Amino acid sequence: MSGDESVGPASAPPVAQAGPLEPWPDTVRWQSISTDLIWVELLRLSVTVAVVSLALGVGWAVTGTWLFGVALGALLLLAGWRAVAIVRAVRAWGYAERENDLLVRHGLLVRRLSIVPYSRMQFVDVSAGPLERAFDLATVQLHTAAAASDARVPGLRPAEASRLRDRLTALGEDQAEGL
Amino acid sequence: MPPPAYPLGYPSGGPYPPGPPPYPPGSPPYPPGSLPYPPGSLPDPLHARQRLHPLSPALHGAKSLVVVIAGLSWSTLSRVGFGWFVAMVIVIALGATVLSVVSWYNTGYQVVGRELRIHEGLLWRRTRAIPLERLQAVEVVRPLLAQLTGLAELRLEVVGGGKTEAPLAFLGVAEASALRRRLLSLAGPRTVSAPGPQLAAAPAAEPPVPPGRPLHAVDNRDLLISQLLTPQAFLLPFGVVFVAGQFLSEGSWSFVAVASTLTAMAGILLQPVRRVLDDWRFQLARDEDRLRIRNGLLETRVQTVPLHRVQTVGVTWPLLWRVKGWLRLRLEVAGYAAGEADQRNRPDRLLPVGDLATGEAIVAEVLPGVALSSLPLSPPPLRARWVNPLSREVLGAGLAEEVFVVRSGLLTRQLTIVPYARLQSVRVVQGPVQRLLGLATVHADTAGGAGAAAVDRDLAEAWALAAELSHRGHTARRTP
Repeated sequence: MSGDESVGPASAPPVAQAGPLEPWPDTVRWQSISTDLIWVELLRLSVTVAVVSLALGVGWAVTGTWLFGVALGALLLLAGWRAVAIVRAVRAWGYAERENDLLVRHGLLVRRLSIVPYSRMQFVDVSAGPLERAFDLATVQLHTAAAASDARVPGLRPAEASRLRDRLTALGEDQAEGL
Repeated sequence: MPPPAYPLGYPSGGPYPPGPPPYPPGSPPYPPGSLPYPPGSLPDPLHARQRLHPLSPALHGAKSLVVVIAGLSWSTLSRVGFGWFVAMVIVIALGATVLSVVSWYNTGYQVVGRELRIHEGLLWRRTRAIPLERLQAVEVVRPLLAQLTGLAELRLEVVGGGKTEAPLAFLGVAEASALRRRLLSLAGPRTVSAPGPQLAAAPAAEPPVPPGRPLHAVDNRDLLISQLLTPQAFLLPFGVVFVAGQFLSEGSWSFVAVASTLTAMAGILLQPVRRVLDDWRFQLARDEDRLRIRNGLLETRVQTVPLHRVQTVGVTWPLLWRVKGWLRLRLEVAGYAAGEADQRNRPDRLLPVGDLATGEAIVAEVLPGVALSSLPLSPPPLRARWVNPLSREVLGAGLAEEVFVVRSGLLTRQLTIVPYARLQSVRVVQGPVQRLLGLATVHADTAGGAGAAAVDRDLAEAWALAAELSHRGHTARRTP
């Protein structure tokens, strides 16, 4: 919820988190993801909220029980909070390519940083749902042999996504060593 | 969620057109010229397409009998009467046997080059090609019935499979051992050239005793005592008294009620009893760079795990075992999904029960240069007691020369050892409470099992730990 930040890849590291929350500030250049992802996520959220509130509204109109009204209010409140969280979460999402590994960080409430060596890569997924395609975005996901590994970068421009995919596969081939 | 690391088999249909009947046994569908072996060795039965042992459908049918009886349960028995019950069981078991005959007729396997191909299916024909470089472990299992009939089941573990791939059930014992030896020799890390001598050795029948240098054999008495020292065995008398009290006070002794109660009791006791049966005569041996594990009373299994496939080693000190100073060792191999329902099929036993000296010797054998009793563990900072009031002292993490070590668990103490060379990825996770306290958790993910998590470290230390882990992982991969 800070002031307007520049859209697109930030040249300077984002200032959202400073100090100890930012590991290795001198060696890592964080790339932020496209802020258009905010709209994708907000649209998804509003569709869900619309469907649920419609159901609640019908229930309220038919039965006239005040509990439905309370639920509706709670839902709208929750949706508002979630919208704010989405805006901040997308701004906080970042990735960095280092010499030997890919760094991905995301999350606000629970903050996560994943360090995935290129040589451990098993395969790379590039995916884009209809909503993402409408906003010209794509998601790149790196899979390792460990199920817990969590290296997903959403909200990339298609050109950047394919560049990242090619770079990851090229580096993975160079350094590959199955398990 | 765990995605297959590479396509293991073909989707329905397979590489053959669905129309023609299955190949007659013995005639290889591949031209002999495509095999990387001299034509002189072609009579080796392992090259041609093989059927499973003709007795296997009968065994599968007998196996399904147990499942059918369990599925019908006591209440059905009481409702339909004994005669109908037996009739139902027979009909279902016969159906299952017929199905397994059909599937047996259509199943075959074949070693082609560095691949094992398994053909199966009548309507949806499938050929699965398993690249042997990806083989993680091979296991020869002999259930009770198979032991009586001289058969064995061969199980292969491959990375990326959610479950055990390709259980070849059943083969003759000699055939299974020969096939296992052959697969392992093909799967070895540096056997690209000259399979000649191994080929010559392969057809020799092999006793079920693991060859190689024996490392340890578990005393059956220790095993029994160790399983009596489990919560289930401890609490059983109380359960019996409680149930008996209920029956006495109510005075109703219907057959179904008693039978159901007994079944429930057996269910509770099942785990310790099964452990005893599974780990009976547990023997561990080292055969060059492989571990051979042999265990089982009713169901004998011989597992072979190449040492370079070991992803993590876990040490557990259950609460009640501390009286004796005992511990349990287990190992994780890639290819076993963490959530696999049947825990028994995971070849995770390295030592079912033993004292510290034994454990130390075995760990040093599996992970050279690792001394179990002198690992550099440091507890998290003092403020971590707000999150872990009781267990802060127990928690610990440390970087040894070759491995990353993590300790946790107040009552059941657990130690996880991850070699740097097996690290898949490193994660740093910080929840809201941890952020207030300036703590973070560092996860080291491995291809098998849950990996290791250093819980509630100081944030700066966590970053340093993550950096050090990824650095050491990188150098360890560079210099295998």
